[in-house]
Parts: sequence; structure tokens; C-alpha cells
Amino acid sequence: MRISDRRFALYLMTPAALFLAVFVAYPLFRLIADSFFKISPIAGGPRDFVGFQNYVTAFASEAFMGAGWRTLAYTLVVVTLEFALGLGMALLFTTLGRSSQVWRTVFLYPLMIAPIVAGLLWKFLMIDNFGLIGTLLHQAGILSNPNQIGWLSDPNIVLFSVAIPDIWLTTSFMCLVLFAGLQNIPGDLIEAARLDGAKAPALLFQIILPLLRPVIAVALVVRGIDAARAFDTILIQTNGGPQSASETMSLLIYRTMIRFGDPGLASAMGTIYLLAMLAVAFFAVATIWRPGKDN
Amino acid sequence: MSSRTAISRNRAATEGDVTSQTVQPTSKVTASQGPRKRRGVNREGLEAGRRSTRTILWILLAVAMVLYGFPFLYLLFTSFKTPIDTIAVPPTILPTEWTLENYANALGRSGVLASFINSVQTAIISTLLSLVLAIPAAYGITRYKTPSGRVFIMAALVTRMVPPVAIGIPLASMMSSVGLADTPIALSIAHTTISLPLSIWLMSSFFEAVPRDLEEAATVDGCSRLGALWRVVIPVVSGGIAVTAIFAFLASWNEFLFALLMTAIRSQTTPVVIANFQTQFGLDWGSMTALAAVYSIPVILLTLLLQRKIVAGMTLGAVKG
Repeated sequence: MRISDRRFALYLMTPAALFLAVFVAYPLFRLIADSFFKISPIAGGPRDFVGFQNYVTAFASEAFMGAGWRTLAYTLVVVTLEFALGLGMALLFTTLGRSSQVWRTVFLYPLMIAPIVAGLLWKFLMIDNFGLIGTLLHQAGILSNPNQIGWLSDPNIVLFSVAIPDIWLTTSFMCLVLFAGLQNIPGDLIEAARLDGAKAPALLFQIILPLLRPVIAVALVVRGIDAARAFDTILIQTNGGPQSASETMSLLIYRTMIRFGDPGLASAMGTIYLLAMLAVAFFAVATIWRPGKDN
Repeated sequence: MSSRTAISRNRAATEGDVTSQTVQPTSKVTASQGPRKRRGVNREGLEAGRRSTRTILWILLAVAMVLYGFPFLYLLFTSFKTPIDTIAVPPTILPTEWTLENYANALGRSGVLASFINSVQTAIISTLLSLVLAIPAAYGITRYKTPSGRVFIMAALVTRMVPPVAIGIPLASMMSSVGLADTPIALSIAHTTISLPLSIWLMSSFFEAVPRDLEEAATVDGCSRLGALWRVVIPVVSGGIAVTAIFAFLASWNEFLFALLMTAIRSQTTPVVIANFQTQFGLDWGSMTALAAVYSIPVILLTLLLQRKIVAGMTLGAVKG
């Protein structure tokens, strides 16, 4: 007996669907359930239903609201700078054409490096006293003393400093995607605009960027989601400090769970964080991207 | 231009790039419509023609490459310094004395070699698991285009947005309740939650490129649908499977948060060991840079060797519409 195509397709998808249900959906369900309880961190300890108390605590806490804003600021900084640098590099590679191919490959290398290694590497470059960046800026005469800028110790700039490894790691990705998009812009269109006397800025803002819009949207959504979840690079550089100035949402949830031993509150924070991410991502996907519509 | 055509055109060009040596004409057709008017030497579209402009652009590129490449080179140089030189004030770029002392210290430390074995083991199990689950699922989604398939690929997309920190703790307690706490199996399952959606995504786009006639011919010849997939389609997409495998491997190899939450001593992977150097042994920068170099260089070399495929996969993964 032959089963229908529809059923056959379903069977093919079942193992992967079951896997995601058991190891993603079920833990998420547990997370949401835990958010309504006051849970003792000790195994087998008491577990009391408290309704929305954890959510009230979360929204009332300065740490949570602060981490929310910092996550937003961090994501905006990372994505904006990456986009600007990635577009610059993609245009550079495009204008140089085929002869730059080797360098295009070399430019990809940070993508293979573990975020934890990248964080470590940049910490080593920016750290007080023996950090190379301060020293080089001092030797170039820009700083009066190598420690003038406390990259990782000044609460006012630390959120920017911890973003640098993330930007360094994934500008290559942005460049790669935008470069692929640039290859699809019809050459004739550019030629025609040039014949009409369009200068470089007009060419960029009136022709290239509008044509790249769908590709840009995809790149920004993908990178925005990743940046909002950043954890490794920040943990290894500052562990959220000084004075929580670089504590983003992932770090706060991690610390609430592990250090402060409050799984119930951490779950409530995790649930809010997840809902916020889903809302933003769905909005972005629905308006600009729409994956799977070719199917 | 609608976004739909732009994305599918973009995909065509990306796929052209995969095999740009063999399918060169295709990607040219996509890049320009109609006859091309050429002015100057070698100039097409955005490519700069004037010699002076090109010189300036090359200088810009050189500066960017030096700035971009320098951080990792500095890590390498530092790993060859003597431990004291490592934290000298002011720091020097090149070692005053080249030595392998940091490497000996890092690799000689207990648990470091074991962590390498754990990393390799976890990454291999996770890669295999991703492929075994993703290949049939992606095939089911692209070949039969049922409503359930559409729902499923959307659901897989949503899992990409779940912050690992949100499911890490419940996952860890699930694993320990079935007796898998602190094992490479548990960690590789956790890593598969990251790589599976990506693998389904990538494999779907590779299957989409396979002409349908191929399986139809096979089924006419008396092959079952499963047989056609196994004997006819899988060999055709073997290149795509390799790309997907590399991505799944890299995702596990470089992952840190799940490894931190789910492993204690027995199954610790190298990223956790690298991070622990900082707290456990004070600030041992020399050993840390050496271990980071040893951990990164194999994957950098591997990916530079396979760069054509990687570039294609990475762009597809992002641009797949």
C-alpha cells in the first residue's frame, strides 16, 4: 500500500520536529512555568506558586530595566557600525572587481573564531596598563598617557568597548551578504546613471541602497537577533561590569539564575526577553523579509 | 523591483558563486540584463576604471586588511612571547625572544587535552545528529511543499530567535534527570538545537536546486520515494551536505554558553577551559593566548581551504528567502 505524498512528507519531517519539540519547545514551556514560582536554588527545595509576582519584581527592578536598555543600545551600536563598515568593504571589493578575490577570502577569517576567543583577544588589546591600543595611541601622540581611556574600566564607554569584538567578528558576514547583493545590480543601470552625470553619493543613495533594500533587511534582522543575544564576548571581557555598565539581558538572566540563585525571577526575565525578541523579530520579518514565501 | 525577485535573483547569483568556475556564464547573465556597453578597460557596472582611482582603492583596502588582520596576528605574536614579556608595560608588538613556553604551559595543564577531545567529540556527534534530522526534513519541506512543511520551516526559524540562556537551565536539568548530566551527548544535543534550524534552512536551499525530473525518472524506473532520495538525490547534493556539516561543526566547536551551563569537569569543552584560565589561575595571558591560537588555527585553515563552499553556504544561510 502506497502512502500519500502529503503523509510521506510529514513522516520525513517528524524526527526533526520531535527533536525541536522535546529540546526547544519543552524547555521553553518549563521556563514559562517556572516564572510563576518562587523557587529555592537548593535541589529539592520548596517551590511556591506566586502568580505574576516575579514579573512585578522584574519590571520594578532597576537592574532589569537597565539591562533592557543596554541590550537595545548594544544591539543598535553593533548593527549600525557593522552595517556601515560591511557596506564600505563590500563597495571596496566590488569597485576593485575580480582582482580583489583573494583578499575577500582573507577578510572572512574572523567568522571562524570562537566569540570567547575574540572577546579575550580584544580584552588583551584594551586592558589597562599592558593593553596595546592605549600604548599605540600614546606613542602616536594622541593620548597623553596610555591609560587615559579606560576602555573596559570606564562605565561611560564600556558598553561601546565590549561591542568591538562582536563588530570585528561579524562585519565580515555583513560584507559577504552585501557583496552578494551588489553583484546583482545590473551594470547597465549604473552606467546609465553615470552617463546622466550622477556622482558617487547620488549613485549610492539613490540607486544602490534602494536596490539592496531586501538584502540589507535580511542582514540586519539576522545580525540584530544575534547581537541582542550576545553573551560570550561580554562575559569574558567585563563580566557585566564595572558597576553593571555592560550588563546586557543575557548576562543579567545568567547571573540571576547562577549567582543570585533565583530561578523563578530569572525565568520571568527570560520569558519577557524572549517575548520581546519574538515580537521585534516577527515585526521585522512580516514587514520586510517574509522567509519561505517562495515555497 | 519587488523584494521577491531581488531575493531569488540574489540566490541565483550566490549559487553561481558556488561553482563560479563552471557556471560562470549564468552568474554573468544574472548580473546584467541585455547587451553590455563597455567603456574603458575591464569596467563593468560598479567596477572602478581609472588607474588613479584604483590605486587609491587598493591603498584603502591594504589599510583595512592590516587593521582587520592585526588583532589575531597580535594574539599569535603574544603566544610566542615569554610569560613575563606577555604582560610587559609598555607592551611590544613582536616578541623580544621567540619561545614555545606558553604552548608548553597551556597544553601541559591538566584537563586541556581532555577538553580538546571533548570538543571534537561533541562537535562530531552534534554534526551527525543535525544532518540525520535535517536532510529528510528539508527534503520533505522542499519536495512536497505541504502546508505542514510551511508551518515547520517557520517554526524552525522561530527557534533561531530563542536566546540560549532561556533554555539552557531547563535543558540542563532535563539532561540530569535522565542521567546524562555532564556528558558530551547532552552537550551535543544542546548544540543541535542551534545547528538544526540552520541545517534545515541550508539543506532546503540545496534541495531546491535539484531538478525534479531526476527523482521522477528514478520512480518511473521502479525506485521507491525513499530509494530515490537515498540513491539519486543525496549523491547530487553531497556538496551541499558537506557545507551544512561544516556549519554545524563550527556552531558546536565555537559554542560557549551551553557548554558553560551543562558541563562540569568530565565533558568540559575548550572554550570553557579558555574562559576559566582567567579566574582559576589568575591572569595567565600567555597560556590563554597559546590555547586560543591552538583552538582557532585548525578551523581557520580548514575554512580557508574550503572557502568557496563556505562563502556560498554562509550567503545562502542568510539570504535564503
